[in-house]
Amino acid sequence: MNTIVNVNSIAKSYGPVQVIHNCSFQIYEGEVYGLLGINGAGKTTLMKMILGLQRIDSGSIYVLGIKAGSSPEYLSNVGSVIETPSFYGHMNAEELLSMHLSYMQKKADIAKTLQLVGLEHTGRKPISQYSLGMKQRLGLARAIIHRPRLLILDEPLNGLDPIAITQMRELMRRLTDQGVSILLSSHIIGEIQHTADRIGILSGGSVKQEFNTAEKVSEYGGQFEDYVVNLMKGESA
Amino acid sequence: MNLYKLELRKIRLSSYIWCAFGIFTGLLALGILFLIILQVETGNGGSQDVELFDHWNGLLALITALAFACFSVLSAAVAAKAIVSEYCKDNAAVLLSYPVKRKAVLAAKCLMVCTITTVCAFVSNVSAVGIVYVIAQFMKTVPQMTGGPFALTVCMSSILMGILSSAAGLASAAFGYRRRSGIAAIVCSLAIVCVTANLVTISPRRIVWVMLAMCVLFTGAANVICHLLAKKIEIMEV
Repeated sequence: MNTIVNVNSIAKSYGPVQVIHNCSFQIYEGEVYGLLGINGAGKTTLMKMILGLQRIDSGSIYVLGIKAGSSPEYLSNVGSVIETPSFYGHMNAEELLSMHLSYMQKKADIAKTLQLVGLEHTGRKPISQYSLGMKQRLGLARAIIHRPRLLILDEPLNGLDPIAITQMRELMRRLTDQGVSILLSSHIIGEIQHTADRIGILSGGSVKQEFNTAEKVSEYGGQFEDYVVNLMKGESA
Repeated sequence: MNLYKLELRKIRLSSYIWCAFGIFTGLLALGILFLIILQVETGNGGSQDVELFDHWNGLLALITALAFACFSVLSAAVAAKAIVSEYCKDNAAVLLSYPVKRKAVLAAKCLMVCTITTVCAFVSNVSAVGIVYVIAQFMKTVPQMTGGPFALTVCMSSILMGILSSAAGLASAAFGYRRRSGIAAIVCSLAIVCVTANLVTISPRRIVWVMLAMCVLFTGAANVICHLLAKKIEIMEV
């Protein structure tokens, strides 16, 4: 399998506080990699470093063979939803996606993408009038419309109703079938368990343990959640 | 040019055009008031106080000084929206994750601020002075014509005033970015115009030269400030 993201021994500090240190992991083509960690574990910081939004103090990140932060070109193959997505409130969904495509210098079927995320009936409604769930869907539409090879989703299911969550999971599965790799973060175990092929536990600033989700679920069964919680707390299983 | 068009799509242009129209109305009212003052004072035998109103370049200098003050604040408001809000709020993560050089995006934003300000300032100032000129003919209170061709002087000083206002707006935006506040940018522009707007009326008979000198100074300073801003944005973290 091709390596899409290669994170090598990275470290990041905010002043005297070391948020990430000696953190390494790989994401392969067509897989969903779930990043689990408690609040403040550094999940968002890690994702921002992959996107070049945060500088790395030491170590390196390679995305599609290009060093993150060295040049913005690799970002045309990356889609992302970081924290609560923000938009230009006066625009409607079509205008926003059309603008996004112009930035990405790509062409795509906007109506089809809106249909994929269940926003086909929004018409000319300005985004400022969208609910949180609709904004979350639009954020996802913006992340996938330019057909990226890597999708970085930071707690993307926040604010979505159960039906929408199921639809989003199906959408992610369809995208991975097409070869898209997904880095998904959450602090909700159930969310990751149902979506990720592999899970990395981010604790104490580094990925403490990585495992195949299906294998561990079959091994621990109903105790899977306890197993993961212990890992998140930094205790060995 | 593509980035410039994208920046234009992000803002509500109509809001700023309405603001410019409001400024134009104010300038026109002020011009008419100056004519009335001239008429009243001339009827009273004249005084030294009306010296600035009794020739067209004096009137032009007064109107242009006020226009400079207003359009500098408008320019700072546009720059606050396009630059400060974008880089200091949630949109920054999206904006900086596009495969476009950060400097190029900032340059497009600065160009947009300059274009909107200069076009609005030029059209408002020329229209206000033009209408005041026509009204003066009807009121039969015609100030003296001094200096070179007046129409050319109006056009030149209006363009220079627009560039000057843009420079003031961009410099204010850099300050707003430093403080991470759009309001700070607008307050900074007010401080700039409080200190410098009077300079426009230093020598009304040589208004174009005065404006040109101010323009060189302001655009030079704004250029340096924007260069520093670009450096900060280049290394900024979200």
